[in-house]
Order: sequence, then C-alpha cells, then structure tokens
Amino acid sequence: MKPGLAIQPWGNYSLALAASVECLRVEPWTQRSTTPETLRLGVEASPEFACLSFKACTGHFIQAAQAGIRYGVMVNSRGTCRLRYYREIQQKILKERGLDLFIFGLGYDGIKPPLIRHFDPDPIPFLQCCARAQQKTLAVDALERETWRVRAVERRPGDATRLLNECLADLDRARSVPEIRACVRTFKPRFAAVPIDETRVPLRIGLLGEATLLRDRYLNHNLEEILGGLGAEVRNFFLLGDEMRNIFRIGLFSRNSRWRLKRLARPYLENLVGGHALDSVAHAIRCAQEGFDGVVHVAPAGCMPEVSVRPILRRLSQDLDLPILECSFDEHASHVGVVTRLEAFASMLRERQEKKPRKRP
Amino acid sequence: MRTFIASFFRRNRPGRQRPIGLPRALHPHLQPGLWEAFFAALGVPVVLSAPTTRATLERAELISETEHCLPVKLLDAHLEELAGRVDRVFVPRILSLHRGFISCPKLAALPDAVRAQFRGRFEVVTADVDENRRPLEQTLAELGRALGFAPAESAAAARQALAAAAPPAAPPADSGRRRYLLIGHPYNLADAYLADPIVRKLEELGVAVERLPAGPPRGAPAPLRWDTSAHMLEALRARDPARCAGVIQLTSFNCGCDSMAGPYYRETLKAAGIPFMALTLDAHAALAGLDTRLEAFVESIAGRA
Repeated sequence: MKPGLAIQPWGNYSLALAASVECLRVEPWTQRSTTPETLRLGVEASPEFACLSFKACTGHFIQAAQAGIRYGVMVNSRGTCRLRYYREIQQKILKERGLDLFIFGLGYDGIKPPLIRHFDPDPIPFLQCCARAQQKTLAVDALERETWRVRAVERRPGDATRLLNECLADLDRARSVPEIRACVRTFKPRFAAVPIDETRVPLRIGLLGEATLLRDRYLNHNLEEILGGLGAEVRNFFLLGDEMRNIFRIGLFSRNSRWRLKRLARPYLENLVGGHALDSVAHAIRCAQEGFDGVVHVAPAGCMPEVSVRPILRRLSQDLDLPILECSFDEHASHVGVVTRLEAFASMLRERQEKKPRKRP
Repeated sequence: MRTFIASFFRRNRPGRQRPIGLPRALHPHLQPGLWEAFFAALGVPVVLSAPTTRATLERAELISETEHCLPVKLLDAHLEELAGRVDRVFVPRILSLHRGFISCPKLAALPDAVRAQFRGRFEVVTADVDENRRPLEQTLAELGRALGFAPAESAAAARQALAAAAPPAAPPADSGRRRYLLIGHPYNLADAYLADPIVRKLEELGVAVERLPAGPPRGAPAPLRWDTSAHMLEALRARDPARCAGVIQLTSFNCGCDSMAGPYYRETLKAAGIPFMALTLDAHAALAGLDTRLEAFVESIAGRA
C-alpha cells in the first residue's frame, strides 16, 4: 500500500496540489474545503489568537494523523507573516497530542527540498508530474473564471456551481497533459450551454485579501456563491496560476507581477508589508480603474498584514469612490450574519449603479 | 541616492526647524531615547504626546481600526492628540531593529496607514529602519538630509543620537530573593499606564519583580525571527529556576507575534519548571480582574514552595 501524504487544503486547487505529489508514490490526502469537524479539531488545538487559516490547517493535519497518515506537506514561507512558523508549531501541536505525522516544509535546505529527498522520485516522472500539476492549476483558474461569469446571470440558480463540480471531477480524472488539455477544451462549450438571462446586468465585485480564506468555501462562508446568487459577477484576485508565476519570478511582465503591483500601490503603500497586503491595496486600485462596482476585502480576524493595511483601504475607498466591504472571519462568524451583510452590500451597490451607472471598459 | 541629490537643493530650506511630533507609543519605546536625541541634535524641537491615560485608551477604541492590537490603537490616539499641536509627526517604518532579525509586519505599513488615516491633519515624516539593509547610523543621516540639513550636520546628529540613546538598564542588584519576571513587548512594558499597575500590585503582594529591559537578541535568529519575541525567548532560556519564582507575560489582545511565540515560551518554561502566566491587555482590561489573577498566581506559587 502506498503511504499517505496530507496536503494543506486550498479550495479547488487541492486537486492540482494532489496531482503534484503523485510521482512521489504516495496517496494524496486532501479535501476541497475545510469541514466543520476539521475546524473544530483545529480550534481546540491551536493557540487562541492564531488566525483562522492556521486553525483550519492544523485541524486538517490532526484529522490526517487520526486517519493513519504519516506524512504531511506545508508551505513554509520566508516572509514576515505568521505563516513562517505554522509548520513548526503544527508539528509541536501534533507531538503534544501524541500524533505521529511528520510535516515536510516546502523550503530548500540544500539542493533538494526535504520532501523530494525523502521520497526520491525518478526525475522524468517527477517533471511530468509537475507539468500535470501546473496544467491542472491553470485549468482550475480557467474554470473559476467561467463560473464567476455564468453564475451571475444563470436562469436556474445553482447551474454554474453544478457544472463547476462536474468539470472538476472530470479534471481530477485526467491523468496526462493531453487529457487535461482535452478536458479544458470542453469547459467553454459546456458553460456556454448554461441558459442565461441576457437582460440582466451583473454587478462587478472584486474579492481580495488573504489567500486561504479567498479560496476555502467553508471558511469564507461560500462568498462567491452568495454574491453570484445576488447577481454579482465576482473576480477573485487570488488565482494560483498567477501566484505561481510570482513565486517563481517568471512573470516579470505579467499584469500581476510584484513589480507592477508595487508601482500601482505606490501612492498609498510603499512597502510589501508581507502576506498579500500589497496585492490587496494594488488590486483595490485596479478594481477602481477597471470600473468595478465594489470590493469585498476578506481576511481572517487579526490577520497581521491584511489588518494593517485596512486604514489604507478605507482612505482609498473614499478617494476612488469605490465601496469596500471589510469581512473578517473567525470560528465564531455566523453564516446568516455574513449573508445579511453581503445582501445589504449588493443592494447598496445596485442602488448606486442605478443612480450613476459606472463606465464599463 | 535621490534623497542625497535632493538634499543639496533643500539645504537651509526654511522651516526645517519646525517642531516635530513624537507619539509616546510604539516606536519611541522600541528605541528608547534615540529619536528625541536625534532631533535635539539637529535642533528640531520635539513635541511629545501626553502619557497614556484612560482617556487615551477610550479615544483609541473610537478612532482606530477595530482589529488592530492595543499598541497600534494607542499610537493612533497619541497621534490624534498631536494633530492640533504640530504640523508634522515622525513615524518610522520599522522593518528590522537588529541584523538578522525582522520586526512585526504591522510596523511595516504604519507610516502609510497613518498617512491614510490622518491625511490633511499633519505631514508624516518617515524613515525606513532596516538593519538588514543599512545600519541605523546611515538611516539617521539620510533622514537628516531629507529634512533639509547638510550631510555633515546630519551625520554628526546621527552619531550623537546613537551615543545618547539609552543603554540597556543594568539588572537590579541581586538580593538573593526569588524574583518574578515580567516579559512583554517593550512598548507594552514601557507604557506606565499599561504595566505599572501590574508591577505595583505584585509589589503590594510582597514579591520582588523585574521588568525585562528592551535589548537586542544576542543569539541566532531561530526558532523566532521577530526581534522582540526572540529577545523574550532568550531571556526565558537564560532564567535560572532557583532565582526565578515565575514569569508573567504581558500581551496585548490580537498580538500576532505572541500568538505564535506563546507556545515556545510555554515549552521553554515548562522544561525549566518555572510557572508561567499570560495576561492579555485590551481596552476593557478591568484592574480588578488583573488583580485577582495576579493574587491567585502568586498565592499558588507560594503554596508550591
């Protein structure tokens, strides 16, 4: 039997991450969104003031350990944010509870990352596997974009989400790069077949903030679907494909490169701060430039980088006449409360739109 | 480079000796005495905000971002108090205070956040304090030039400020008694309104208490890279259980650094067999609640011995 490897869940990208470890001859253990049980375990074990992302991730590893998984993998950032310490503290927590799960970091200490050294895959299958994972990441990006667009104007509520899930299942089954490409080619016609209401003018809302919360449907109380149901075409500014390019510093000329974002944010923020704080500020400015109706800023309660730029977002909202809804989530956030706030926000945006239609690019 | 060239044109700019406001919160506590000495050496009058009081705390709750930690909220209240009195304030961007270490990420956005919040009420003078990139002396000299002083003047002021900055206080004479150690970030420990009632209460209970002085972490930046947290962890590792009766950590609500460093403190002290208690400060801290917890802590330790 292949040993299991617990991978940090990251929304729909979990399936791409799972694909990336196939060549290590392990069984990936992940989930597409946190579950209430996962979060409960995580909250119980974590330090009180740790952020929601930490708690969810810790819960995930505890569950994995209880299911008999021996290994896990977790990013370890080199940044200023708390993320730097996640892996070590999670390891401590697991040890204290007598759970035997070793978490590999994704950093380098030597030539190979420790994970690769341990499982020692053959180079060619490994590279093939990386290519598959990258293709799947881009495929998920494409799927997300289609879903945002269709969900806001679908005639039968739920069509887009259903189709998204079907497509994701197909994508998960694809085993080679040509298969993945073939799968991606079916997305466009399938989404085009969804009956839509062409008379409806969707609101355009940007979602920005902390990455895990933007992607995890359970942690963010299904923001994308709620807003879509309210007739808003969302754009989630965290797409892993774009982020990969930034991490590997190859997208120097892409629209989302750090360098571009830095230049965009300069009048308001002159430092990277850490996490995705700079991205939040820069993307909010971009939303205003591109004529978005509003922005929802999503962060776990007490998130160090995101909270520290909130005063800047508030100023920016006034200067650029861009409504920004600040949503902080912790384990006590009530679903009904979130829905009510979003409904109020959407109806306020609708009113603004009727009074003064924004120019659309 | 740009500031360097600009400094030739701005030299002797009128108004370069306009008074500058310095809040009595956050950064002056991280580098005690440094900024006052620097501006004094340049001949710029410094206007300090009044010490924290109950009113400052209440004001902070009203005007500041709700999810900030207490020290950042207090900074906002102190700055607001300065707003009517000066037309410029100094808020540095603290990225790292000691080589090899980094500072809390919240401090990296401060000047921009302050500018956003108080726009039109005062000008924000800032400098990037990043020991990993350039030494403090150079940072100070550049700040002097940016303020319109000649390079030589600025460099001299930088040297004077570094010489005058308060050296770390010597540990109190050893009386042989077991002492309690109060740890926390310097800006919490140095704020008389926040920390003094706790020290007073402990003294009333008849125990000796020592405040951890601010200082550079000496060892390698592992496992913690945040400077103030690493300093605390080092102090705890060096503690001798025969001399230390217990450790009380003063943390502020929503402190990100402490949420991650807490497990390390706890682990270290557990291994050494030293009792540990964390007291969380927020704007609602009622003294009676703190008193009860301190009494219980001290009594339970007295019972142990």
